[in-house]
Amino acid sequence: MNATAIENPDTHSGISNAKLGVWLFLASEVMLFATLFTTYIVLRLSATSWPWGWDALNVPLATLNTVILISSSVTIVMAYARAYDRDVRGFRLWMALTLALSFGFLIVKAFEYGHEFSMGIGPSTSVFYAVYFTMTGLHGIHIIGGIIVNSALLYMSFVKEDWENPLFLGRVEGAGLYWHFVDIVWIFLFPALYLL
Amino acid sequence: MEKHNDEHRPNVKLYIAVFAALLFFTGLTVAVSRLHLPRPQAIALGLTIAGIKAGLVAAVFMHLWGEKKLIPKILIGAAFFAVTLIVIDVLDGVWLTPQDTGRMAVADQHPDEGTAPTAKPTAAAPAAPAAPAAPEAK
Repeated sequence: MNATAIENPDTHSGISNAKLGVWLFLASEVMLFATLFTTYIVLRLSATSWPWGWDALNVPLATLNTVILISSSVTIVMAYARAYDRDVRGFRLWMALTLALSFGFLIVKAFEYGHEFSMGIGPSTSVFYAVYFTMTGLHGIHIIGGIIVNSALLYMSFVKEDWENPLFLGRVEGAGLYWHFVDIVWIFLFPALYLL
Repeated sequence: MEKHNDEHRPNVKLYIAVFAALLFFTGLTVAVSRLHLPRPQAIALGLTIAGIKAGLVAAVFMHLWGEKKLIPKILIGAAFFAVTLIVIDVLDGVWLTPQDTGRMAVADQHPDEGTAPTAKPTAAAPAAPAAPAAPEAK
């Protein structure tokens, strides 16, 4: 498939193949996380007791991470807005800020994991912690994936041919869609594991 | 860089408004969790707030509001299968086969996670050795 076929919207749906591909990928991601949430629900309903997040986990750090991730959703959509207006400096600034927030999320998560490991808590400690480490770990891997893609886009903005490529704006939008999905997953993980 | 008709015109003021709403709902969900509501009400309220936040992100940041109809159709399909998966597994795991995954069976297998009834080990579900209690992380 050549670049024109990817770039131009389909005549029936009006959606470019690239964007449609990203949405189909996200639909498959919905199923991936649905299996984990199903596991969480089944195990929780089966358990004789389930710890309250405030007693078992560090809620203030998780709240901070929620604010960080929400902020990064705003910064990446601002990067898209700057790319839409062909403002390369603005795009670099907002995308760099997105990356900084992404690393901030991972650093806070590393502190949280480190504290738990230092207390002798791991996935084998209990069913609750097994679910907690599995779900937050998979989410963390998705964060790392987003960092790789967003870093590539930031690098491409420094290459004139890439920045002027008609596909670039669609790439930014696709990366943004993925990042917002990762944000949505955390929006549900946060109350499910930490607050309820 | 030319633009195409399926790319959305950014609305920065709306993005900022949604950002403020997301921060507000984050604070609200944390505050509500401190009220020690009964768990069913707390879960319903927490998931409702999470649903509102997710809806805002999807509608505004992901531009689902005003997106071509095919995209919502794809998502409705995914949501249908996700809900089906959850309902079938919960029905099967909790109510239809309680001998394997019910509260009493889990209590037998994980006596460290609650008040476990004393049960003799069987071939189907041998009693697990008592594990040390998990330290509490603050």
